[in-house]
Amino acid sequence: MTVLGGIGFSAPWLLLGLLALPILWLILRAVPPAPIRRRFPGVALLLGLKDSETVSDRTPWWLLLLRMLAVAAIIIGLAGPILNPEEQQADGSGPLLIVLDGSWAGATRWAQQAQVIDAQLTRAARANRTVGFLTLTRPEEPAFQSADVWRTRLAGLRPAPWQPSVGNITRAAEIADTLEGFDTLWFSDGLGFDGRQDMLAALQDRGSVEVYQTGANVIAMAPATYQDGAITLTAKRAVAGTAREVTLNAQGRDPAGNARILATVPATFDESALEATAQLALPAELRARITRFDIAGQRSAGATTLVDDGLRRREVALIAGRDGREGLELLSPLHYIEQALAPTADLIDGSLGDILPANPDVIVLADVATLSDAEQAPLIEWIENGGMLVRFAGPRIAASDISRDTEDPLMPVRLRAGGRSVGGAMSWGEPKSLDAFRDSSPFFGLEIPDDVVVSAQVVAQPDPTLANRVIASLSDGTPLVTRKALGQGQIVLFHVTATAEWSTLPLSGLFVQMMERLAISSSSASINAQDLQGTTWTPLRVMDGFGLLEDAGNLPGVDGADLASAATGPDLQPGIYASGDRRIARNVVTAQTVLSPATWPSDVPVRGLFVAPEKPLAGWLLSLSILLLLADVVASLALSGRLLKRSNAAAVIMLGLLYMPAPADAQDADAFALNATAEMTLAYVVTGNGPVDEMSEAGLRGLSDTLFFRTSVEPADPIGVDLERDELAFFPMLYWPITPDQPRPSGDAYAKLNDYLRSGGLILFDTRDANIAGFGAASPNGRKLQELAAPLDIPPLEPLPSDHVLTRTFYLLQDFPGRHIGRDVWVEAAPPDAEQIEGMPFRNLNDGVTPVVIGGNDWAAAWAVARGGAPMVPIGRGFAGERQRELAYRFGVNLVMHVLTGNYKSDQVHVPALLDRLGQ
Amino acid sequence: MNNPATLRATAEDQAARFPALLARAEHLAGAVLLGAHGRRRAGVGDDFWQYRPAQQGDSRRRIDHRRSAMGDQEFVREREWQIAQSVMLWVDQGASMRFRSDPKLPEKADRARLLGLAVAILLQRGGERVGLTGTALPPRSGTPQILRLAEAFCLDDATDYAPPEHRAMIPHARAVFISDFMGDLDGVTLALTKAADRGVRGVLCHVLDPSEEAFPFTGRTIFESMGGTISHETLKANDLKSRYLERLAERKAELQRLCALTGWHYGLHHTNASAQSALLWLYSALDTRTGAAA
Repeated sequence: MTVLGGIGFSAPWLLLGLLALPILWLILRAVPPAPIRRRFPGVALLLGLKDSETVSDRTPWWLLLLRMLAVAAIIIGLAGPILNPEEQQADGSGPLLIVLDGSWAGATRWAQQAQVIDAQLTRAARANRTVGFLTLTRPEEPAFQSADVWRTRLAGLRPAPWQPSVGNITRAAEIADTLEGFDTLWFSDGLGFDGRQDMLAALQDRGSVEVYQTGANVIAMAPATYQDGAITLTAKRAVAGTAREVTLNAQGRDPAGNARILATVPATFDESALEATAQLALPAELRARITRFDIAGQRSAGATTLVDDGLRRREVALIAGRDGREGLELLSPLHYIEQALAPTADLIDGSLGDILPANPDVIVLADVATLSDAEQAPLIEWIENGGMLVRFAGPRIAASDISRDTEDPLMPVRLRAGGRSVGGAMSWGEPKSLDAFRDSSPFFGLEIPDDVVVSAQVVAQPDPTLANRVIASLSDGTPLVTRKALGQGQIVLFHVTATAEWSTLPLSGLFVQMMERLAISSSSASINAQDLQGTTWTPLRVMDGFGLLEDAGNLPGVDGADLASAATGPDLQPGIYASGDRRIARNVVTAQTVLSPATWPSDVPVRGLFVAPEKPLAGWLLSLSILLLLADVVASLALSGRLLKRSNAAAVIMLGLLYMPAPADAQDADAFALNATAEMTLAYVVTGNGPVDEMSEAGLRGLSDTLFFRTSVEPADPIGVDLERDELAFFPMLYWPITPDQPRPSGDAYAKLNDYLRSGGLILFDTRDANIAGFGAASPNGRKLQELAAPLDIPPLEPLPSDHVLTRTFYLLQDFPGRHIGRDVWVEAAPPDAEQIEGMPFRNLNDGVTPVVIGGNDWAAAWAVARGGAPMVPIGRGFAGERQRELAYRFGVNLVMHVLTGNYKSDQVHVPALLDRLGQ
Repeated sequence: MNNPATLRATAEDQAARFPALLARAEHLAGAVLLGAHGRRRAGVGDDFWQYRPAQQGDSRRRIDHRRSAMGDQEFVREREWQIAQSVMLWVDQGASMRFRSDPKLPEKADRARLLGLAVAILLQRGGERVGLTGTALPPRSGTPQILRLAEAFCLDDATDYAPPEHRAMIPHARAVFISDFMGDLDGVTLALTKAADRGVRGVLCHVLDPSEEAFPFTGRTIFESMGGTISHETLKANDLKSRYLERLAERKAELQRLCALTGWHYGLHHTNASAQSALLWLYSALDTRTGAAA
């Protein structure tokens, strides 16, 4: 391969073809474009005219250039250009040791690193070098094998979630000492650690050392802390210098149980800062679901911080026995508990009945002796489902008979009557102090202050099970705190009060620590060695170098002090640790961790990890040449005037059509409005029943035609109206045929219909069944009509009176037949106080127009005409039928006139009287 | 053409064009309202002109007894002199007329025939006799003549540029020549001078396609006449434009000069303009000539 200017060519000799381009240029210039033959009568006038230039019409330079580029692209494309050809490095000889830091810091770029290692292995394989691997985080004697063997095992290399410790380095240096001369490739993760210089020196003794290290900064994240309602997240980086923003993700499960990002917050590193903090305030419910935080774009154990109870605020319900007095706050049975829990738990007040549905984590009953059966059953159920009931003794419990003879289900032990008092004025002896916690107790390891003394308590009955249930006792052996499991939950009884009356325990810091150990409260501060002294923690889930959690398997437990302070390593893997009910997350990076960048002496060559992949360009160039040639076709056609001939123009338009956006639905409403309002339009309600709707349309078409021929009303084609979707205000009249199966309009549609009726619209209801039923609920259609019309704002109705204005708006009518000759047509009733003037009562509503006309004569069928104008439905028999159709048309004309003219026609009735009065 | 099916199809095709042309021509002619076309003097005709006292030599049969009975004097009823004028058409049927630059435009021949037939219909309604120049269809009056004219107009001529027919021109008749006058002008000159010799006046209607006026061509082009007999190759068509337009203008000027010389009318019509305006102009040009002759 030949490399020219960063681009390699697999067949460089083909590039000589570029020399032919100037010749091609000359040839193309010399040959004029092909002539077009044109028929043109005016040629007679052209005869004898000479071209002013003897040189032909040249191909324009840009077209030539286009063609040249196309040819050049073909030549170069065939020459096999390759972007980023592999760099040539001198192959060494002898064994090769590949040293990996193998820590979490390299996890984000592990894939890149593996690529580079793979490339180096390929080189080593070419040179027949044996290769050994030495991972500093897990140093083992390297086995020198052929590079090809290692290539197959490359995928098995994984970063460890810790940094190489001093012990690791020492071991690695020892291993290096045992080996004979080799060259070293050191893949550094970019973080410095103790003993690195020694290791480098040890390796340099054996042969040359070359370092591969990413230029990218290592970013990590310290554990999240919760304070004052906000989660504080801290991101750290190894090298300062530029301002940079990182996005911190809070990961967790959504209510459906799917893992997802619950919240994101940006954090900005100032130019010179190594740390960036961000505050994240989340609702408690959301906060409780967070399982981990990580940094977007980073995938390493260091950039992930697991969340333990520290963020999880437990809900604690506090219930005290009824106290008759107000205002004595320090005597309140709950005061000390509130003080102890308020900083780290969410407290709930209320009655037991109100609290249980809220499913709190803990319920504290302070000196509550008896519970009603109605309260007890659900409380037991709640405990069995994992609730924790904490009871405090007190005068009421001491005085009651609870758990006296048999153990109460809500008491861990049986109690003796009365309790006891020690060290008081009326008793012998001193107030008792606490005995040291036994190692089976959850309080084991807590330091007992000297000033904690107990002067009164309720006393447990000796029982076979008592010993197991005691988790704290006084110096004389009497139980102070007892506990029993019930289902998945537990019941804890403090044999003293929650106030300072019986003991000084609630006044001491021990009380708070005991609450923490019982997981009633969760410590908000970071774990410290002292708190965890003497506890053993078993790993539940551990994190690998990439920050992914996996099951801990059978990893051994860890000492609490180590968990708090020791650095992560093979023996202390980061992850979630549990002891009893408490969960602690151990993260790789702690608040104290300082990330220091790795620096190398100047004599060690350092290479980046970036390997640009080889990218053959031949395909691109050949495609380009095809595109250019296509452009040349278009340009040549355009030049010779052939582009916009008819057939070609069609093709161009077709191409253009491909890019036409689909018409938007939003225009529908506008189009409907334009269609309905451009001319006066009759409308019918679409029932969803095909034949009925067709008949409605045909009927209104026939009526429209009749109006057009006979009157000055010239309607456009009728429109079907969807009550749910379409605006009704455009139509003077709606024809609504009733079918038993049509859907009921929605509430919105009824609102629209009522607006329509109130603002002067008219609906002609047609039950179409006058042949079989009278008006009313006797027929299915009638019942459907009642159902449909019930929500409508319809005034009282009456059968069309013989003097109604509908009988005389255009034609004088007595009957209103459609396909059927039913007598009953109902319209708005005249007001009861309507005056009979000239035999005509005034109808005042809606400008004298009745809002509904209801009948069953199937008028649409009588009006219906086909497109050609021929009637569609036979009416009656013979000539009498034609007369009936004619009367139906007349009814339709009258109806439309009535709607359109309002009270004008009814006023016309009075014209003779008016003229009379005017003395005409 | 010995295949009966082909013959039938061709015949029907030809026949189909004929009523269409006629109908369109009728339609076009219907738009023109005919005015009075009398001679304004007593003569042979149908319309009343005047009563004059009977003179010596008047035939007794000519005495109008109704008028004469009103007095002692005898009157003769005179009628207006109405003579029929002979108008001869020549519509160029040559191949050059079958050209259109755009499918939306009619062919020049189509427009020319339409104009010719429409003017013939108008003249026929005015009582004139209409025919073709030459011996094929001498002027006759009456509706059947229109049919014959329409039939004659449906015949295409294969020659590229047909010279005007100038034989058998009736003295003192009128003539209408419709053509694109792209061919040799000698033929036109000969026809016009011959017509002038015989006292025939008329109208030259010059029908052109808009592209013949604009010459919107570029690039290397071979121009061919419609019959394919003449061709001209150019390497730069747009270079020829100005000289072509110059020649066209010269030709129009020459035609106008000829018309002025022989007392004819010259009119230019483009196929993208409305046929109505051309017809109106044609008719009025003929009419004024008639009036001027009176």
